[in-house]
Amino acid sequence: MAKILIVDDSSTVRDEVADFLKGNGLEVATAVDGKDGLAKLKADPGIRLILSDVNMPNMDGLTMVEKIRGELLNTAVNVIMLTTESSPNMKERGKAAGIKGWIVKPFKGSAVLETLKKLAA
Amino acid sequence: MKSELVSKVLVLDNSPAHAATIKGFCDDNHLVGLKVGKERLMTVLRSNIDLGAILYSDNYGDTPAETTEIARRIRSIRPELPIMLRRDSLQGDCADSDELRRLCCISYTTDDLAGLSRAIDEFIFSLVYPNALVRGISELTLNSLGTQFSYLAASVATPYVVRDRVIFGEVFSLIPIEGSWCRGYMTLQTEEQPILDILDAHQPRHGGADFRTANSLLGEMTNLIWGAFKNRFLVDEERSRSPIQVPLIVNHRHRFISFGTENPQLCFLYTLTDSATGRSFKLYQRFVFNLSWSPEQFREITHDPGELIDSGELEMF
Repeated sequence: MAKILIVDDSSTVRDEVADFLKGNGLEVATAVDGKDGLAKLKADPGIRLILSDVNMPNMDGLTMVEKIRGELLNTAVNVIMLTTESSPNMKERGKAAGIKGWIVKPFKGSAVLETLKKLAA
Repeated sequence: MKSELVSKVLVLDNSPAHAATIKGFCDDNHLVGLKVGKERLMTVLRSNIDLGAILYSDNYGDTPAETTEIARRIRSIRPELPIMLRRDSLQGDCADSDELRRLCCISYTTDDLAGLSRAIDEFIFSLVYPNALVRGISELTLNSLGTQFSYLAASVATPYVVRDRVIFGEVFSLIPIEGSWCRGYMTLQTEEQPILDILDAHQPRHGGADFRTANSLLGEMTNLIWGAFKNRFLVDEERSRSPIQVPLIVNHRHRFISFGTENPQLCFLYTLTDSATGRSFKLYQRFVFNLSWSPEQFREITHDPGELIDSGELEMF
């Protein structure tokens, strides 16, 4: 089954989002920062969609996406940022790195569930 | 939403003849006066009451020496609080008056309150906090808390300013706020057990919530509010690039934090209540603009309505 990787340094967010997605029949993996996210993606080819925070220690979410595309040469995995940030500059950087979309926290699962399912298929 | 700032002051004045005048002065100057008896004074000063100043009188002690000794102890415990001394006459003299005057930032009589009024402005309301900022912080924080705790009712007390540096509660978060018109920190402070009780009632997890759960939750609340603050008040291109920093001092023993400035701090107190059980917890929010403060450059960011995407909704690229 296709899997969604949640990358967030906040265990509160990881738990909330994971509980919601699992409760809706989706398979989920989690990572605590961008570095961990890269490692989890490398190790698990079943990951189809990444939901990632931007501001994280060790490696931020946008740098992680740039490395996914530029170093792992993985253009197949879909990435959506889930963040409190909403600045146009950051969104532009995300677009340039090839992200699919942007959600400003808080996460309202029911509003985005169908789209997430499609992107994770 | 009310945004006019107030500040709490400790009124250490036993004179019935001046009580009405001082009460009227407090009402006129956005001060909330709290009276404390001598026997409870030191306990109160060491407690969680956040204060802007102390209105003292030269006959608070039974003797002039005791009045001076009490002022000395106040200064020792809470050196950041200005002591404003009411005297029956500015001409009078007593053995301890020189030292007492040195411990106080101002002497005044109730016949002439102009000096006291100036001191209140200088020591408590010295920073201008735009109404749109104060109101906006309350709004965005209540909104963030409402999304994090949809099952609780959130309310906010009248915002206030303090000069004290006491750390409240048991859990404390700190995050920088950086913009072209301000540089400083936001803190959130709360107690652990009430949060854990509410989480166990509403979001039971195997093994129950522990202190790490409370830490993470406070971190996420901080993150949500910080993000909302940036999106509403800080333009991306204008964010500060200043490298200036000052050390923050945390004294665990005295539950004291210093940001390196005497500036009054902007505070909000939120209460989140579970209407089903009556359980609640309080969240103290402080803004300390210690590195830069230019309220004349403050402005709220306005978006083209067509550009707006609601929080929680997916903006596809």
